[in-house]
Amino acid sequence: MLYETLVLLRREVVKWVNRRPVLVISIVTPLFWILLFGKSFNLLRLISLEAPPFPAPLAEAFQRYVSSLLVELFGTLDYFTYVTSGILVVFALFQSMFSGVSVVFDKRLGYLTRLLVAPIPRGSIFLAKVGGTLFRVTVLSAVLLLIADMAGFRFKEGISIIDLLGAWIVVLLVASGFTSIFSSIAFHINNQEVLFALANLVNLPLMFTSSAIFPVEQMPEWLRSIAVLNPLTYAADLTRYFLVGKEIGDPITGLAVLLVFASASLLAGYHVSVKGMEKD
Amino acid sequence: MESHAIVADRLVKTYGNLVAVSDVSFSIGRGETFALLGPNGAGKTTTIKMLSTLTKPSSGDALVGGYSVVREPLKVRRLIGLVPQDLTADDEMTGWENVLVSARLYGIRGKKAEEEAKRVLELLGLWEHRDRRVATYSGGMRRKLEIAMSLVHSPEILFLDEPTLGLDVQSRRHLWDYVFMLKRQGVTIMLTTHYMEEAEHLSDRVAIIDHGRIVAEGAPEELKSRIRGDRIHVELADPREADKVVSALNELLGPSSVEPASGGQVVVISVQEASSVLPDIIRALTGYRVKSVNVVKPNLEEVFLELTGRSLREESMDPARFRLHLRRLR
Ligand SMILES: Nc1ncnc2c1ncn2[C@@H]1O[C@H](COP(=O)(O)OP(=O)(O)OP(=O)(O)O)[C@@H](O)[C@H]1O
Ligand SMILES: [Mg+2]
Repeated sequence: MLYETLVLLRREVVKWVNRRPVLVISIVTPLFWILLFGKSFNLLRLISLEAPPFPAPLAEAFQRYVSSLLVELFGTLDYFTYVTSGILVVFALFQSMFSGVSVVFDKRLGYLTRLLVAPIPRGSIFLAKVGGTLFRVTVLSAVLLLIADMAGFRFKEGISIIDLLGAWIVVLLVASGFTSIFSSIAFHINNQEVLFALANLVNLPLMFTSSAIFPVEQMPEWLRSIAVLNPLTYAADLTRYFLVGKEIGDPITGLAVLLVFASASLLAGYHVSVKGMEKD
Repeated sequence: MESHAIVADRLVKTYGNLVAVSDVSFSIGRGETFALLGPNGAGKTTTIKMLSTLTKPSSGDALVGGYSVVREPLKVRRLIGLVPQDLTADDEMTGWENVLVSARLYGIRGKKAEEEAKRVLELLGLWEHRDRRVATYSGGMRRKLEIAMSLVHSPEILFLDEPTLGLDVQSRRHLWDYVFMLKRQGVTIMLTTHYMEEAEHLSDRVAIIDHGRIVAEGAPEELKSRIRGDRIHVELADPREADKVVSALNELLGPSSVEPASGGQVVVISVQEASSVLPDIIRALTGYRVKSVNVVKPNLEEVFLELTGRSLREESMDPARFRLHLRRLR
């Protein structure tokens, strides 16, 4: 099973790397988002210290006040840092959807027939799709953080390799869970439009009802009750905890929730996908 | 059992109300080349799909290489190669990558996988194109790549579903040569086709399938010998005249030997000896708008017509339709 999965995973990687324009766009999109979202909402810039309209001590005091307000609001010093740490998990969601789309294409182009007639465990076909997403989100997240760092992302003081690993694991859990869901659906349908429609239906709501781009504490009551059910909320809080040092009570609960989400989706997705492959 | 590579036992496949394959049984000896001949929609692909474990029979079973396709599909998959009717290569990868992945999926590892990939790419004449993306291949090259991918693990039993569909005459000849070469190596080959020349030329035995049923089976010579005498085809310009033509000819030749076919476009006359009755027939046809009169020596086409009342050729797919068919798949 492992060997076959690796053979197919290698194909996923080769295809992704070969597709230069897609690769470039995959990297530019998140950058575009954080620069647009993050930098244009940067409240701290409102009171620049270089040409203060008031006496310097007053300006400093005011800035301290705004900073504390921001920390209270977002748990980070600026919105750019806030949204970047959240968008990591949103893009794991998007990449998961692309995995589902690629399943439909493998079907339509007949490649799946080739795989189904080969003496390989059918589960390896599913696992390779999950592996492909994990690979892509790993590369994309690393690139994203690297560029965000240059653009002024405020990592937490004394960030360690353990923190980075923690954030990485969070992103992987999100990607495994959602890839399982999207590809198991994809193995049952023949038309990529259905998947796009479905993604439109769930992706943006998932994003906006999570803490990925806006703090749950600031949401109205009804939205908050949805947000606490959304795996992306736990994931975004955790990446923020690991990368930025935002206080989030208890990281273990969040990790446990994500772990349950990912393993349940993997298990169900595996069986549903294999069922879909057996269908006429 | 052991002497048979494939034993199909009362295979049935239904899709909702549609019976695609109905009670099909046959056996294929080891090293034999067997053709399933039939028009579009006859159930050829469905039969191949069941034998190659891509779809489960609704009832019945088949032994392929001694293993049940229903109970031991994984064991069957190890022994077989399949060239499906529709293309399956990944057109975003190169020919080389495609063949290499195929080799590895059959458990061929490391250097050995590369050697085998090289072997089949050279065999099919694709070696110099190996580093091109499959999207840039011509239709004929893509068909060859499909075969290369299916041969890379040296299967004992090979299924070819309409292998020459859309190929020009020269490529078709080449493909026939590969089939003969594989046959010499002892590979059991089951192919489907709706070109009867192909079935006649390539196979030791032919089964004619129509509407999901096997209507005749045997060596090509044997099937042809079932047709005695000659056949005369009268092609009419106006199918509405068919009835009148049939009754005029019946008067001349007695009942039972004259049949309209192909919706009245052709009237088929069965006689002992064409040359002696032809003048009378031509006289009887004066006054009708006749496009052509042909004396036809029995071939599988005739057998098919005799058994089903329809012509194979009129339903076969020409290359233009084949391309449309491919495009629809996208
Ligand atoms: N997945 C499916 N769902 C519903 N009907 C199907 C399916 N596959 C095949 N059929 C039907 O079963 C019948 C037999 O189809 P099949 O593909 O086996 O024919 P074929 O002999 O291979 O024809 P062709 O020469 O056109 O390839 C057809 O009527 C077809 O429409
Ligand atoms: Mg077919």
